Amino acid sequence: MSQFDRRQFLKLAGALSAMAALPKGVSAATVAPRVVVVGAGFGGATVAKYIRMWGGNVKVTLVDANPNHVSCILSNLVVTGDLPLSSITLNFNSLKTNHGITFMQGTALSIDAAGNKLTVSTKTGNKVLPYDHLVLSPGIDFVPAAGTWNPTLTPHAWVAGSQTTLLKNQLAAMRSGDTFVMTVPAAPYRCPPGPYERACVVADYLKRKGRTGAKVIVLDANSGITAEPEAFTEAFEVTHAGWIEYYPSATVESVDSNTKTIVTSAKTVSNAKVLNYIPKQRAGIIAQSLPLNSSGFVAVNPLTYVADGFTNIHVIGDSCAVPASDGKGVPKSGHMANSEAKVCADAIVRALSGQAPDEDIATSSACFSPITNTTASWLSANFIYGDIFDVNGVVKGKGMHRVDIGEAPSNNINQDSFEDMYKWSESLFADTFI
Amino acid sequence: MSHPSFPRAALACAALLLAASAAQAEPGRLLASQCAQCHGTNGAGPGFDELAGKNANDTYDELIEMKYRSNIEGIMDRQARGYTDAQLRLIADYLATLPGNGGD
Repeated sequence: MSQFDRRQFLKLAGALSAMAALPKGVSAATVAPRVVVVGAGFGGATVAKYIRMWGGNVKVTLVDANPNHVSCILSNLVVTGDLPLSSITLNFNSLKTNHGITFMQGTALSIDAAGNKLTVSTKTGNKVLPYDHLVLSPGIDFVPAAGTWNPTLTPHAWVAGSQTTLLKNQLAAMRSGDTFVMTVPAAPYRCPPGPYERACVVADYLKRKGRTGAKVIVLDANSGITAEPEAFTEAFEVTHAGWIEYYPSATVESVDSNTKTIVTSAKTVSNAKVLNYIPKQRAGIIAQSLPLNSSGFVAVNPLTYVADGFTNIHVIGDSCAVPASDGKGVPKSGHMANSEAKVCADAIVRALSGQAPDEDIATSSACFSPITNTTASWLSANFIYGDIFDVNGVVKGKGMHRVDIGEAPSNNINQDSFEDMYKWSESLFADTFI
Repeated sequence: MSHPSFPRAALACAALLLAASAAQAEPGRLLASQCAQCHGTNGAGPGFDELAGKNANDTYDELIEMKYRSNIEGIMDRQARGYTDAQLRLIADYLATLPGNGGD
């Protein structure tokens, strides 16, 4: 605060006399409400930041096992060596200094829902964090197939960081005639276009490096390409023809990381040079202490992201299951996690001042997918709160109804979109972490 | 720095009152925050075109043009289809009230 003039003083004096009229939760007699957020990725960092931006006097503690966040977005270009890992490593300095968020490095161990307390394991022992609202944004956990799966031998690289570097090094060691085998997990999984994007940029890398006869084998547990089907069909059959073999309906039956062997219902590959097995996914570990739906995610209220059966425990991002129209599910992506985080932040700020949640809400996802190291495609999906429908078009309840989806028309798959990818990521990274 | 003669308690109360007013969400604020993933927090960059502080009618007209354009020219033509006309109006009006950095 700088110098006060008379006008400001009078305004403040008026404010003081209005103190008695303050709603519950921000009255002078009450301590600041406490929000604890678990997971400092695109969901958790955004909800922490926006509660501080919009909520005024709220104490926000952000808990993450790592001292910074390594983005999955752009990580396929780290695998190919086009970007350094540092370019997708995002620190929490601005969240702490500019937004006044308390960061705690540690692993969430358990939730005492009745007592409104979270226990966190830290380097200096267990800490108990009382909360008025708890937000879980822990991303994903893996559900591996039978066999001997060891991700330190056969990286998934579906959580970025050391896994990304491991896959990068394995790709760099490939020579002519070698095989790179990867899987696409059964939906729903994190980042629908991501596996196809990876197949494209790995094929592009092998081609550019002159690895004659090397190939990428894509084993897709789904019945077809789940995202941007036109762009990726064109990429597989034309742009990277001869470098990618695609097998749909390939359910993984077993995996052996020692021999780099994978058995699926459509094809078996033994002794691959690189086995990039991306397992089926479910809610992140701490969210598994809440009831899970049949897909392994936490059903939430779309207006508040409160987990079904609770009043002040919210789940956002990849771990949550938002009610949606059949066949038009809400995608799990960093962009969408950021989008949901804002709805959740607004609902928490309203709840703390005794207001009902806003119903005039929308969420969205948008992303750019590299096809080569100079061209990219894009995907866009938008949702509005309201009636949601079953497969027959009959209203089945309220939720986030998908009002639009579309992939880039072919004349948009070009260098301009590749450059736009960096504008998008720069903005999304900043909106989340700065 | 606070004015030395000004009571700290009053400042604390003022902060609380600001907190209370912050809690009263302005119309369009939440909807407009969905632009920030690509246009920066509060529409002020970095990323694609800066949206903050532009003429509300111009922003609205542009959003409507993108929403109803028959041939998709870019990703914003899709994103604009994700909102009702009334929501686009709220977004345009709210973004116009933000300071921005004076960029394009």
